[in-house]
Amino acid sequence: MQKTFQNARSALPYILPALLLILSFVFLPMILNVYYSLFRWNAFSVERDFVGWEYYVRLFRDPVFYTAVKNNSLYAVISIVVQVGGGLVIAAILEDRLIRRWQSLFRTIFFIPSVISIAVVGLLWQLLYNPDIGLVNGALQMLGQNEWVHAWLGDSKTAIFAVIAVSQWQFTGYMVMLFLIAMHKIPEDLYESSMIDGANRIQTFFKITIPQIKEMILVGTMITVIGAFKVFDEVYVMTFGGPGRSTEVLGTMLYRAAFRNDEMGYASTIATVIFAITFALSLLQMKWSRSGQEG
Amino acid sequence: MMKGNKKIALIATLLFSLVAGGCASSTSAPGETASESGKDGQVELKFLHKWPQPEYYPYFEEVVKDFESQNPTIKIKMEAVADEPMKDKLRVVMGGGSVPDITFSWSGEFARKFVRSGAAMDLTPYLEEDPTWKASFIPASLQPFASDGKQYGIPLRFNGKFFVYNKDIFAKHQLEKPKTWDEFLELLDKLKAAGETPIILGNQSPWAAIHYLTGLNQKMVSAEVLAKDYDPKSGQFTDPGYIKAMEYLKALQDGKYFNENVNSNSHDMATQLFYAGKGAMIYLELEEFPTVEKSLPGKWDFFELPDIPDGKGNPNYITGAPDGFIVSAKSQHPKEAIAFLKFLTNKANAEKMVKQLGWPSPIDGATNPNTALKQVAEGVEVMKSAEGMAQWLDTDVHAKVADVYLSNIQLLLDGTKSPEEIMKEVQAVAEEVKQEVEQ
Repeated sequence: MQKTFQNARSALPYILPALLLILSFVFLPMILNVYYSLFRWNAFSVERDFVGWEYYVRLFRDPVFYTAVKNNSLYAVISIVVQVGGGLVIAAILEDRLIRRWQSLFRTIFFIPSVISIAVVGLLWQLLYNPDIGLVNGALQMLGQNEWVHAWLGDSKTAIFAVIAVSQWQFTGYMVMLFLIAMHKIPEDLYESSMIDGANRIQTFFKITIPQIKEMILVGTMITVIGAFKVFDEVYVMTFGGPGRSTEVLGTMLYRAAFRNDEMGYASTIATVIFAITFALSLLQMKWSRSGQEG
Repeated sequence: MMKGNKKIALIATLLFSLVAGGCASSTSAPGETASESGKDGQVELKFLHKWPQPEYYPYFEEVVKDFESQNPTIKIKMEAVADEPMKDKLRVVMGGGSVPDITFSWSGEFARKFVRSGAAMDLTPYLEEDPTWKASFIPASLQPFASDGKQYGIPLRFNGKFFVYNKDIFAKHQLEKPKTWDEFLELLDKLKAAGETPIILGNQSPWAAIHYLTGLNQKMVSAEVLAKDYDPKSGQFTDPGYIKAMEYLKALQDGKYFNENVNSNSHDMATQLFYAGKGAMIYLELEEFPTVEKSLPGKWDFFELPDIPDGKGNPNYITGAPDGFIVSAKSQHPKEAIAFLKFLTNKANAEKMVKQLGWPSPIDGATNPNTALKQVAEGVEVMKSAEGMAQWLDTDVHAKVADVYLSNIQLLLDGTKSPEEIMKEVQAVAEEVKQEVEQ
């Protein structure tokens, strides 16, 4: 019996189904995608014209590409600060003895936004941001901050931040949840002994909580950063890249190329670049954390 | 060991059959539909349209049911997706294995790209075969579905764009419908001075302002130049009229004749504001007229985009376009598909559509005061007497050119970009398109 489990050949039938599925539905499409990016074609035409690396050259000359990369990076940076950083702080506060008995209430409140469909959230916030009837401007006026009243989604300077803010509203609670689960696993006696040694709450946060849930923080960061480069729905629903191209992200750029401009080859090129970026980022993170198994 | 090998063999076979089965069904779909329909002479037609809404869908269900009861050998499988997803779905569906036999399409370039790639069927012989059918359409409604002298689409609706105004507000300030652009500007000034919002525009989805530009381009640029530029093979967009057209639109924004925050309000929001009496005018499509009547009964009327005397375009054109159906080139049952389209566009069904849905019909005489709202019937009359149509700019030019127009029109209105800058981008993309189409 023992021998059978150690035998790689007898393990094969067990992993074969999953392996085949992943090969045919993940790796094969990835390779095909690179191949397709070398052709000019659209979804309904019969023929494909070989264009080589032309689309890659065009992409790196396309000013919209840099707007998109900038927006995705903004998404990533802000999300790390708010969702991971802010989520961590909120989780630590909720985990504190003083507030712990209401923890489940707050946890639920913070978590609710992340269970709402993004399409609904997008429409909801579109109305909240409406300059004339929206709650955001209404609240600002009520607080007497009239100079802050603004067409949030309609101005190309503020639109991307307005969209990013919605993501923070939606997903911080999710991160809080992940961190709380990790914090529950920290042995209580660590805190007790540190208290006896005279550590205050800030110190225990930095010296005990953070090192103990390091794995989860890394996983959280990875999810956030990769998510930031794959973002599509929020932007699509709220602005579709507008006004102008100011809120274009790589995802909407890809969509526009594929389904609006009939340039499947260019869309494949963008997809390849998105893959390269996210793959490189996750490699980096895995290297830094030397793991990625926890979570 | 034996056991292990057997297991491998078993799983491998299972998986192989799974994968092979999956591939087979996706690659041989067109052939399959033929064999599937072979039994006892039954034919199945796939019919895709863009009206899944509960107020519109029943009409199509009824027509399909009537058709099936008259033609027992034909079964119609109907599917509907909404307006916005239709634009993406069609592109994917037309290239896939199981293409719908009859599918909705906008006219102009949207249909022409399917023609260019050989995905749409030439319907000319069927129309030639049945001259009474062909003659039943208002000629201007067929032309936008034609390409190189061949007819590729059958129109279902005949849509035009008009300024709808609130009669109460006009009466309050003793104002009248303008004829020329100068009169229009004078009217706008009076309204503004009286503290009204002259025009309501919701340009969150930029097609709203593109519809203004559709008419303005047509008025400013001569028909020959326009036809040459809108054709992807020869587009240049160097005529100064294009810049002027944008300047006219920008003047409306700079003169503060629109509501504030045009780019943050949706078209729906804009119509709601208009119905609530918050503005004097709004630029609407004929198909929206029934809703206007419901919201402002008897208190509204309409006029055409005013003439611009120094424009080079034909002043007797009207902004609008038909939309309708194309037949897939891969369809196994073109005869049956045509039979259904004939049934759908016969006078009885056209009148029923006008009556039930309030849409303007391209069938001559179907949209009359007995079947339609007074204003809709009048609108169709205006369009019938027009010498041609300025079709929606965002569906009449190549998708890439349209995309540049669409994303820049918001920036024109918020002042970030000048007409000259935008036209430079349009020219560049037109050049790119030209090279790609030629290759």
